[in-house]
Amino acid sequence: MSPTATMSPAPVTAPGSGPLLPPWALLGLLFGLVGAASILLFGPIGVSGTYPRVIGALFRLFDGGYAEANPYLVKMGALLKPETYLVLGLPIGGFLAARLGRGAKAPACEMVHAMERSTGLRYRDAFIGGFLIVFGARLAGGCTSGHIISGIMQLSVSGLIFGAAVFASGIATAKFIRQEG
Amino acid sequence: MTVLYAILVGVAMGALIQRIGASSPRVILQNLRLRNLSVIKFMATTIAIGMIVNYAIDAAAPGVMHFDIKPTYVIGVALGGLIFGVGFALGGYCPGTCVVGVGEGRKDAVVAIAGGIVGALVFTMLYPVLVDPLIKPLDLGKVRVQDYVGLPPVVLALLIGIGMLVLMRALPTTPGRRAGS
Repeated sequence: MSPTATMSPAPVTAPGSGPLLPPWALLGLLFGLVGAASILLFGPIGVSGTYPRVIGALFRLFDGGYAEANPYLVKMGALLKPETYLVLGLPIGGFLAARLGRGAKAPACEMVHAMERSTGLRYRDAFIGGFLIVFGARLAGGCTSGHIISGIMQLSVSGLIFGAAVFASGIATAKFIRQEG
Repeated sequence: MTVLYAILVGVAMGALIQRIGASSPRVILQNLRLRNLSVIKFMATTIAIGMIVNYAIDAAAPGVMHFDIKPTYVIGVALGGLIFGVGFALGGYCPGTCVVGVGEGRKDAVVAIAGGIVGALVFTMLYPVLVDPLIKPLDLGKVRVQDYVGLPPVVLALLIGIGMLVLMRALPTTPGRRAGS
């Protein structure tokens, strides 16, 4: 059997078969245009700053004194920024794309490591993972969207450093954790 | 008007993230294990197209782009990225992809957001202690690549952007399959 016969899992990626781009190229092209349009219209895309702004809004409701005394909550400011509306749009886009697409419905709980032997253990990994990505992003001042996508597309040095650190540590961690099944 | 633009950018971003599979923790782990590079190639294409469009508009109409560069405080940005990478590989989510995942009906994405909110709370409370050792030292300011390289930004963006696109086209999308055949 020729090893090249099974190389191309998606028909759109077959060279010379048509004008279509592979999915990563077409979707990346569109996201690049959306990212540039965002900077043209109001500013770079970003997500992770919304998390501490939600914390700040909760403190202002229940303990206004702390919200005014904590320098980070003061620095991050009020909840209603353009970025917050962008974050509200994300699940709408995810919902619409999932409904209109032909793919299978997303699993409610997706196991990714061999150590996730139960739903509870998967939730543990998702919770600790969620904690670390937002803690790390706030320490760095941005996440995948703010630092890596919008940062590097503005040629910012911080985005390059953050991106290199994320992929170095992410790839090493993924290799270190025993692989699934 | 900004509110509407921000929601629309969020909806588009959510739909694109869903379509490439980046809201699936399984696909993220395949990428970090370097078995499937679809999301990595999608991100690189996004960045390449974005930087070319950003600086082409900026060269044609200086001042219209709402550039917003994040400061490069080397220690905090690098350390935050390393912490982020561990959480990224453990949970399979980013601060934005878990919000997209909620729109698709993923319950582990809700758990990741809960972890993120706790992470933001802990960072907020630790900020007064972390700012002096991790954020204030080695702060280069809001620097960009063009501050170090003597080329017009649009030329730099074209060189880097085209280089990234050529590299992504050359890289296999599923290196694991080729090796396994």
